[in-house]
Amino acid sequence: MNWSLFFGELVSGLTLGSIYALIALGYTMVYGILKLLNFAHGDVYMVGAFVGFFVLKWLGGPLAPAVTGWLAVAIMFTVAMLACGALGVGIERFAYRPLRNAPRIAPLISALGVSIFLQNSALLLWGPQFRDYDTFDLVGVKSYHIGTNFFISNVQILTISVSIGLTILLALVISRTRTGKAMRATSFDRDAAEMMGISIDRVISFTFFLGSALAAAGGIMFGLVFGQIFSLMGFTAGLKGFTAAVVGGIGSIPGAVLGGFLIGLTEAFATGYLPGGSVYANLYVFALLIVMFLIRPTGLLGSPVIQKV
Amino acid sequence: MAALLELRDVSKAFGGLQVIDHLNLHVDEGEIVSVIGPNGAGKTTVFNLITGIYHVDSGEIVFEGDKVSGLPPHAITNRGIARTFQTLRLFLNMTVLENVMAAEYGQTKATALEAMLQLPRARREEKRIRKVAEEKLAFFGQRLAGYRHDQPAYSLSYANRRRLEIARAMATNARLLLLDEPAAGMNPHETHEITELIGKLRDDADYSILVIEHDMHVVEGISDRVIALDHGVKIAEGLFDEVATHPLVIEAYLGVRAEAEAV
Amino acid sequence: MSSLGGGQPGEGGLPAAAPEPVDAPDRVKVGVDEWVAEAEGRRAARSGLTGALVRVWERLPAPARLAILIGPFAIFPFITNEGNLYRYGLITIIYALLALGLNVVVGFAGLLDLGYVAFFGVGAYLYGIMASGHSGHHLQAEIAIPIVVISTALFGLLLGLTSWRLLGDYLAIVTLFFLQAFVIFVNNANGGLNDFSYPFVGKVDLTGGSNGLDQIDPLNFFGYHITTTKGYYFFTLISITLLMTMLYFVNGSRTGRAWRALREDPLAAEVMSVPVNRLKLLAFMFGAATAGFSGTIYGAVQSGAFPGDYDVGLLITIYAIVILGGLGSIGGVVIGALVVNGAPELLRSSSNARFLFYGVLLLALFIAMRPWYKPVVVLLGTIAFGFAVHGIASAVWSRGTAGHIEGGGQLGRALEHWVLLPRNTSSIAGWAYFALIVAALVLTLLRGWWRALALIPTLYLASFVWENKLVEQVSGATRLILLGGLLVVIMNVRPSGIFGTSRVEIA
Repeated sequence: MNWSLFFGELVSGLTLGSIYALIALGYTMVYGILKLLNFAHGDVYMVGAFVGFFVLKWLGGPLAPAVTGWLAVAIMFTVAMLACGALGVGIERFAYRPLRNAPRIAPLISALGVSIFLQNSALLLWGPQFRDYDTFDLVGVKSYHIGTNFFISNVQILTISVSIGLTILLALVISRTRTGKAMRATSFDRDAAEMMGISIDRVISFTFFLGSALAAAGGIMFGLVFGQIFSLMGFTAGLKGFTAAVVGGIGSIPGAVLGGFLIGLTEAFATGYLPGGSVYANLYVFALLIVMFLIRPTGLLGSPVIQKV
Repeated sequence: MAALLELRDVSKAFGGLQVIDHLNLHVDEGEIVSVIGPNGAGKTTVFNLITGIYHVDSGEIVFEGDKVSGLPPHAITNRGIARTFQTLRLFLNMTVLENVMAAEYGQTKATALEAMLQLPRARREEKRIRKVAEEKLAFFGQRLAGYRHDQPAYSLSYANRRRLEIARAMATNARLLLLDEPAAGMNPHETHEITELIGKLRDDADYSILVIEHDMHVVEGISDRVIALDHGVKIAEGLFDEVATHPLVIEAYLGVRAEAEAV
Repeated sequence: MSSLGGGQPGEGGLPAAAPEPVDAPDRVKVGVDEWVAEAEGRRAARSGLTGALVRVWERLPAPARLAILIGPFAIFPFITNEGNLYRYGLITIIYALLALGLNVVVGFAGLLDLGYVAFFGVGAYLYGIMASGHSGHHLQAEIAIPIVVISTALFGLLLGLTSWRLLGDYLAIVTLFFLQAFVIFVNNANGGLNDFSYPFVGKVDLTGGSNGLDQIDPLNFFGYHITTTKGYYFFTLISITLLMTMLYFVNGSRTGRAWRALREDPLAAEVMSVPVNRLKLLAFMFGAATAGFSGTIYGAVQSGAFPGDYDVGLLITIYAIVILGGLGSIGGVVIGALVVNGAPELLRSSSNARFLFYGVLLLALFIAMRPWYKPVVVLLGTIAFGFAVHGIASAVWSRGTAGHIEGGGQLGRALEHWVLLPRNTSSIAGWAYFALIVAALVLTLLRGWWRALALIPTLYLASFVWENKLVEQVSGATRLILLGGLLVVIMNVRPSGIFGTSRVEIA
């Protein structure tokens, strides 16, 4: 067995997976509370990557940043997460909130509209070309190895640990804070929560803020890991993030993380091992989604739903 | 005479909760049977099991001598069992007549292709089920008559929506109607009317009826036999007066024993 | 707004800014019970021309309505040239044909199928594989089309199977992923180094990869080749007329009723003797077959099939057509296709696009604002505002007025004195675009004269962004931006589309 290929795919799968997990968290939270599939979420992720890029440019660019590389990265994360959080709140406020009591198909189509709007706005403003993060020059990529076959870079370690850290932070916010409790109450029964004096609008806005901020973090991670971003990157990533959320069991926070890693690993190992994997890896992810639905439609950690009549 | 519908030792659990526990129940031809019991007793679950929305965990459900448990809902309906819903589930954006005609799907055969080309069978069937639907609606007298046929169902009043649900169930060509709280949310006058209607369904239209009802006046007025459920178990069965005065039933509704212990 | 429906909230259709409980009595719930219950009243109360037209339309017998919809299309080829016939006519009715199938899946049966346009692609590619110089086979159309229709229907059946277990949103994502999978596949299935190696046959160039599958044969029925645009136009027009007629009959049949019942309430439908799973499959198959058929025509017309043609851009276009026309409305699809395809086609040349842009703005202004003098004030205000800004700018910021409108005609020359045209626009215009979006959103929060007042700089900003940014990419990004925005706005203002009837839905 070729262990260096195996470990290589493992590490890249975990790295990809931690990005998908961050996207999946946003889907899962919004779905849990609004029962809405937020198609625009993938595009928020893309916007996050671009905001990070422009912050980097504003700081002097990857070759000559005004502050040290790691500090620049931290600033990129902060600004992009705040900006995308605000974007998410705005999307909810204007495209979804007026439709909260509309027929079920309406917010979905509205979401599709927002997605296409964001994607093409990016195309209009920033063009179709790739933008470079130049991670090598920015932070000085180092590779560590354990044994002879296991390599991992500092950027990969950063990605995986930031992703896990953010997830733990999110879990704490949801389980410990007042707003987190309000979120859980709202996802359980919106009307009852409202009658108990919870401001539903604020809870939903907060949910969108959190989810979008996480997506922005994912976007920057993508830029750091792959060194490049582009304006159409949101669509496929959004699909896979949602797949991760579904595979893990939509509405479940640990499920989203688990699903994210599963999707990332599937993609990486499909690339390395399966026929046609280098170009068809996404088809294998799709197959995984289908298989998941056939054997366990509620996802790995989702709870079965009893139909009320 | 063999029972029209028979539940033999039926059980159903959701997770760890035993909702129906070894229930035996039967409805004879031409009978009106009422199911009573406190909230959460499993009454609606019985309906969902009979109509195939839920699958039984054990036991079997037999209709006209054939086992129907395990069939998909539409097949069970085609065998001759139709129901109404406690929370109304009309096709709100379809017209009154369409609501009734939609329920006649099982009695028609023409394929989509035949409809596209307007072949004779499609047109013949269409004419026939329209007539049947109008007949079913006529059963309700003026309430769902004439000009109302082409109104969307959402424009009907609450009581009329309940009536339309019954008409829709009748149109499936059922022999057994399952009515889930037909008098819920109605005023005394409408309740009285629905009581008479249920009697008429049996006497004039030859339906056998299994009905869930909370209003004891309705239950008293219509039932040949009453079955009381509590926590998925049958606690009493018989004539209204027997069941209504049965100690277990009173306990289930009022919690007598618990109070006695507390004192 | 009163001309569209008096019961809609406020003037712009969006609820007030102040956060209020969901059940606030004064908020009108679009699409919800009581709102729809009043639909009859609103329609009857429609004043003026629109109301009269709607009433007349509804009283017409079906054949007359069909004739009114199709008639102009039948005349069109005789009053226009080849190029216009292709762009405004042929493509529009191919899209309309495609949208008719989607209307069955989404509009009739209520299944949100976002993989729909993949079947359009399957149709084009499959036909291309059976009849093109690329593949080396040259099958006759009378054999190829039935094969395409049957195979796409089978694909539809397979995708439809997922609808047995998946509801609403889940179905949407699986089908969207299916579309993505299709695009990935056709982009790579060229028998190249990375492609699959199939059992028995090994590597095969199926689709030509990202270069597309070229040299597709023209449709050839029993030796008669359709070669002209006009030929394809009439072939498609006849197909769509037949399909609309057949759909009309199906809609009134047991199948149509069962589809609508399933859209309303799948569980109740199942219990009322409708085999819901079978009908879902039927809808999927029907839609897929229609898409496959129209894809074949499209492939033959283009004499090629290219991966980029069957992507999300097309999906959004077709959805916009169906939604604009009204979900479930057969005739609406034709109008939707005319608006969604015809208008952006006009956008392709920038001077046409300019007229269209300002025309639509003016029209919207005068339709949406009442009483009549309000839009007049806004219009005059905007014009004055523009000259003021331009005047100040030319004094203090010469670069801001240095640009030119190229090929703009008289309107363009006039605008040069009104709208700012900085020479190096890219970053300024980018911020302006951003500002425009924010301004438009803020507008929805304002009321009465405040809104009218805020509209003046917003309109000026809009025209600034248009001239400096949007006009650059009228046939690409701009078109999709407008379509995306249109979907959001329609969903907010009139979820039932132009021709659709309002529906009630109780959660």
